[in-house]
Amino acid sequence: MPIAKMDNVIKNYKVGKVEVPALRGISLDIQEGEFTSIAGPSGSGKTTMLNLIGCLDKPTSGRVDVSNQDVSKLSSNRLADVRNYNLGFIFQTFNLIPVLSAFENVEFPLILLKKGTPKERKDMAMNMLNELGIMELAHRKPAEMSGGQQQRVAIARALVKGPKIVLADEPTANLDSVTGEGILKLMQDINQKTKTTFIFSTHDPMVMSYARRLVKVHDGKIQADERK
Amino acid sequence: MTFLAIALGLAMLIIVDSMLTGIDQESFDRIINYETGHIKIFDREYREDEENMPLDKSIDNPAALITKVGTDPDVVGVTSRINFRIMLSDGIDQYPAVGIAVNPADDESVFLLKQAVAKGEFLKGSEEAMLLGEGLAEDFGVDVGDYMTVLTRTKYDTYQAIDLRIKGILKTEDPKIDYAAVVIPLGLGQESLDMGKGVTEIDIKLKDPARIQEFRDMLAKDIPGMEVATWKDLAADVIAISQAKRGGTSFMLFSIFVIALIGISNTILLAAFERTREIGMMAAMGMKRGQIVRLFVLEGAMIGVLGSITGCLLGILINIPFVKYGINWGFVMRDVGDIGYRVTGVSHGVWNINMIVIAFVAGILISALTSIYPARVASKMEPTEALRKA
Repeated sequence: MPIAKMDNVIKNYKVGKVEVPALRGISLDIQEGEFTSIAGPSGSGKTTMLNLIGCLDKPTSGRVDVSNQDVSKLSSNRLADVRNYNLGFIFQTFNLIPVLSAFENVEFPLILLKKGTPKERKDMAMNMLNELGIMELAHRKPAEMSGGQQQRVAIARALVKGPKIVLADEPTANLDSVTGEGILKLMQDINQKTKTTFIFSTHDPMVMSYARRLVKVHDGKIQADERK
Repeated sequence: MTFLAIALGLAMLIIVDSMLTGIDQESFDRIINYETGHIKIFDREYREDEENMPLDKSIDNPAALITKVGTDPDVVGVTSRINFRIMLSDGIDQYPAVGIAVNPADDESVFLLKQAVAKGEFLKGSEEAMLLGEGLAEDFGVDVGDYMTVLTRTKYDTYQAIDLRIKGILKTEDPKIDYAAVVIPLGLGQESLDMGKGVTEIDIKLKDPARIQEFRDMLAKDIPGMEVATWKDLAADVIAISQAKRGGTSFMLFSIFVIALIGISNTILLAAFERTREIGMMAAMGMKRGQIVRLFVLEGAMIGVLGSITGCLLGILINIPFVKYGINWGFVMRDVGDIGYRVTGVSHGVWNINMIVIAFVAGILISALTSIYPARVASKMEPTEALRKA
């Protein structure tokens, strides 16, 4: 049973009065525990695919299933619930809340989920920081951390609630190659250890080399789907 | 900085309210203590023509009425007066003024004129002497012991001129007395004005000021031929002016408050736009629109809390010297002329706890309510759009 599924998905955006096609009939199954890269040049449709699987957007036509649930026609509040319980996000620009410390940023999704007591939430957040080797950054604000450190905090924030799928939109694009490789290795380790499904977009061949499944898109269509 | 706008608005509200309420209270106290007592009895026709102080419409035999009212257990004091128009002259200049003939024996049972003698002494019996308001004395450049001429018309409209020695200078802080009154003994007034035993008014002071209206209604039934008026009836024009001034001031303060609130709305809206990516990230993590609205409304409320605390503290701090030492309006009151308030010099602020509580709660509530619109704008951003924005 796939954890995420796209069935003949078409997505058009309106730019002024013109409709611009972003996806032109995409069908794709992502199995639980896969470490998948969606690769392609700018404008190929990879971010749109992540947005649809991430329940941040709705398809123009076709069907998107996440965790065995058709999310194509859900209300914005129901979509928020699906994101809250099933999905974790890692962004290219980290998007940590600047006024919160690393610990507070990691604790934030647990507060949204109302998961556990304050002490349990604290333990979960600290354990996650510990697992990612950034325990010493717990009380630092984002502005006091390097890009790589911020992205590690962002990964901890995505993983802390135990999501079924982690979606990462070009997670290494704002990092130097050494730090970027470190982040990819970390994601790979977590995937192997926890069997959490990772889907990440990129146009960087180095990043693609880490994926065990590579879905290449071009002009809104899947060009190739390779498993290693 | 937005909270400072709210704080300044609230502080101004508290201070202006304190000063206006203080001026009102002091004005009303002076009207009661020097001009009207709690209740006045007139001849009905006199009341209708009160502006002209017609001596031929007087109470001719007040003694029986004074005795009757004076025996009422609710009454603390009763006295009688004659008010009459005069020209006051020092032989070189002359100014119009108001003569008040008071009964030195019982005037202090209702009024505080005796305590307001700043220099010299209060009147006795029917002596040929006068008390002069401090402002008039300054204008004429006269002092205790000097003589002045009072020119007036008797009850029968014949001219009368009397030379009187200034026995005392009155300082009441009531401009109607200090700038315009000459006080003489009632006996002298009755004789000079051909009034016989007559007076123009009987003045009453009650034990319980809260029962003024009730007592007035009872008394009016008891003496049907007479006009009975409370101090509020007599000061209706002053009360109306005071309310009109308050209305104007309230409108000004309301405008300041509206400007501050537009500031809050703008701040929240800017905060929402500045944090577009943050909102997108929160939405991506599963935050619902309602939660985003609540977050920004809470932020508005927190600005309100900060503004309200700062504003109330600032207002209270600034109000302390106003309450303790007051403000001396002497430099402006004389030039402004009669604006209704009975203040010639220092006026004190008052503590209006209700206004402070209202200002505090309103600051928070209105700040939170003003944040709803920008919060809704923020919540309606699509997560994908929000995440794309720099």
